[in-house]
Amino acid sequence: MTFYDLIVIGGGPAGMAAALSAKANGVSRLILVERADTLGGILNQCTHSGFGLVYFGEELTGPQYAERFVAKVKTADIKILTSASVVSLKQDGTVLISGEKCGLIEVKTKAAILATGCRERPIGDLPVTGTRPSGIFAAGMAQKMVNVGGYDIGNRFVILGSGDVGLIMARQLKLLGKEVLAVIEKEERCGGLERNRINCLEKYQIPLKTLCTINRIHGKGRISGVTIQNLANGNEEFLDCDTLITSIGLIPERELAEEASGGGELPDWMFLCGNSCYVHDLVDDVTYEAERIGYLAAKFILRGEINNGEFTGHSKNITNQSAVFCIGCPKACPLTKTADGFSGAVCGRKDPVPSDGR
Amino acid sequence: MQKYDVIVIGGGLLGCFAARNLARYKLNTLLLEAREDLCTGISRANTAIIYSGANAKPGTIKSRMCVETSHNFGDLCSELGVRYSQCGSIMVCFGPRGEETLHEKLSDGLDNGVHGIRLISGEEILKMEPYLNSNVRLGLFSPEDGTVIPWELGLAAAENAIHNGTEIKLNVKVTDIEKIEDGYKVFAGETIFYTRGIVNCAGLFADEILEKVQKPSVRIFPNSGNYFILDTKAAGFVRHIISHESEKKTKGLTLVPTVDGNILVGPSKTSSNEKDGFQTSSEGLDRLGKLVAEVMPDLPMEQVIRSFGAIRPNPYHVHFDSDSGLYAREEDNIGKFEVTQSKDNLAFLSLIGIKTPGVTCSNGLGRDAADKMAALLGAEINPEFDPKRPAPTRLVDLPIKERSRLAEENSAYGKIVCRCRTVSEGEIIDSIHRIPGAVTVDGVKRRTGACSGRCQGSFCTQRIIEILARELHVPLSSINKDGPGSYIIGGGSIDVL
Repeated sequence: MTFYDLIVIGGGPAGMAAALSAKANGVSRLILVERADTLGGILNQCTHSGFGLVYFGEELTGPQYAERFVAKVKTADIKILTSASVVSLKQDGTVLISGEKCGLIEVKTKAAILATGCRERPIGDLPVTGTRPSGIFAAGMAQKMVNVGGYDIGNRFVILGSGDVGLIMARQLKLLGKEVLAVIEKEERCGGLERNRINCLEKYQIPLKTLCTINRIHGKGRISGVTIQNLANGNEEFLDCDTLITSIGLIPERELAEEASGGGELPDWMFLCGNSCYVHDLVDDVTYEAERIGYLAAKFILRGEINNGEFTGHSKNITNQSAVFCIGCPKACPLTKTADGFSGAVCGRKDPVPSDGR
Repeated sequence: MQKYDVIVIGGGLLGCFAARNLARYKLNTLLLEAREDLCTGISRANTAIIYSGANAKPGTIKSRMCVETSHNFGDLCSELGVRYSQCGSIMVCFGPRGEETLHEKLSDGLDNGVHGIRLISGEEILKMEPYLNSNVRLGLFSPEDGTVIPWELGLAAAENAIHNGTEIKLNVKVTDIEKIEDGYKVFAGETIFYTRGIVNCAGLFADEILEKVQKPSVRIFPNSGNYFILDTKAAGFVRHIISHESEKKTKGLTLVPTVDGNILVGPSKTSSNEKDGFQTSSEGLDRLGKLVAEVMPDLPMEQVIRSFGAIRPNPYHVHFDSDSGLYAREEDNIGKFEVTQSKDNLAFLSLIGIKTPGVTCSNGLGRDAADKMAALLGAEINPEFDPKRPAPTRLVDLPIKERSRLAEENSAYGKIVCRCRTVSEGEIIDSIHRIPGAVTVDGVKRRTGACSGRCQGSFCTQRIIEILARELHVPLSSINKDGPGSYIIGGGSIDVL
């Protein structure tokens, strides 16, 4: 079995920054595992600009922002495994990795940084009724198919949820000559950043229907329309779209942390950063925080210093978060309802207070 | 001219088992399925329970088959390489009306010879199911009840039928049937198949198929039910199949800990009555939510990853009403299962209106139909029939050493495509090349579990489309989600962006 001082799981902006920082702070045997074929994570599909204004002082596209780190990681004496997934992370630091090139291998690590990002909340999670036709895409999935795959995924779009990914997709589809019938938002206000609302919707005359939700999906093969309902007055309206994009929330991917903590407290050797910790608005913040996490992990590995819950970051804004958080948690960790009640997935607090009042 | 001994119409669970059991005889059998994959109708959406017989009236086909089947269901599943969880079931009640029903069911169950069935107290139930509403009064425990994945079972039966010489044609919709001297002419548009006998397993459309050769006598009036599926994170909440006998006249709730570790919640009846009405309604989902609040208030409904609609094929006798000139249905639906046959059409067997416990009885009914058909046609036993169907490779079920060896031999087994269920590219490729193989995204989902986890395919759908197109040598735009018109990529006017 191969031994490592540190495994960084996820080669997106958080994982790359954390790995570079740990390396710079003296960690020697370091492995970075990324499930996609290339490093960069979600940045690779964010072909719009607006990244790096804080960290680099210039405006970059997602792939440009990623490339600056990819270049550094590749020359930093870090073992990189791409097309490889961590399928299991045990409480004793045993890691099972399954990859196209490496096969199934078991390694042992002193510490782990989880930078696994988020998954998108599926539409099945909402009380939306009707059929289950094709042509329904989660926003990030649609973004990847369009920007990375170059695929044509539809012509007449409705976007459910006005989070940033939804807004950016609305603009992009419009620029590709597609019809965007509406962005539907159940709250009174747009969910994404104000600058995105103006630049992505207003500028392109895409209607934002606030206080509205989709309550029915129509269509037997491909989706043929949605019924939207105004939550204030109950009025219904049919929109004959051929594609529905859902941007209804991101859920941090932390199943590995749950496994390694055995349902209890997060072990001292495990660190979380990036969107798997909480959903960030800006990638620049992710980078700063991940660098700090890389430093804390190095202190633990080299000097045995335990991170007593310190979480540092430029932004602790968790308003975009759809998961349930415990209030005042030092690690801003979301709650998971388990067979034994709520548990702070990371901090392991005994009596967490759910942020949504549940 | 395409001549067969038997044509099975419909490739759901029943059709697959009819075909498999016909293969036990020296018969040249063809199965016709209208859609592009098998098990995409009723078999795709139901409660997935194998009943041991406490629910069936004594002396019926249902009771005989439930008792026989459930007792040996593990053997059938290992023969077919299908996963099965004999988790047992508890029928629970919260009041006097339910208690009465449970005593009746116990008595029926004992008459039927159900193994191990007994009444248990509320206290005992709460030890077995601590998250149930603590007001639970009485339970009927059926240790031999279990759960299976219906399409996994059906596909396995179909693979085994093919292995034993059965021919299966997909995308062939029967449009007409004509009786001829020594059998039937089966039309699928322009194509004609000749056959000596027909086994009609057309599910929701079995009545329409029968009416191609005779006057209406039985018709299907479907009703629909809604379900939720909870993520595997909620698995600890439900350990046995729990069915709730309501104090009201309405149907109670059923909770099933599935083979995959999810929890299936449902069905709640809705007023939808279309044959292709696989959809949910707010009426149905709201009712489910209320039932959950009543039966298991702590069930974490925020772990719901999907809701879906299912259809029950309720059969009714119909008679011609000369006043209206229409066929009118009788008041009560047909409760019993039977292999229907009329004297004018002896070699035309129909399985009409097979609802609960249809999954349980699928092999038994298929066997009965096959035996009857074989006797009619004077077919001999096929001594070469091989009942075994090798299970597909499922990495998560294998020991690490074995997985490691597979990944070394073939790198596709190392590459994880679906991370929620840990499904590798190798398993997806296998599912496409098995016969009958997956041709749609949902076909891959049904065969491998990819897309059925907590992210519901948002990470892997694109990858699966690409793998399907590559392996089948077709353009990406021809890959459907499930069924006609359900294209995902490139259905628009612009081909490539």
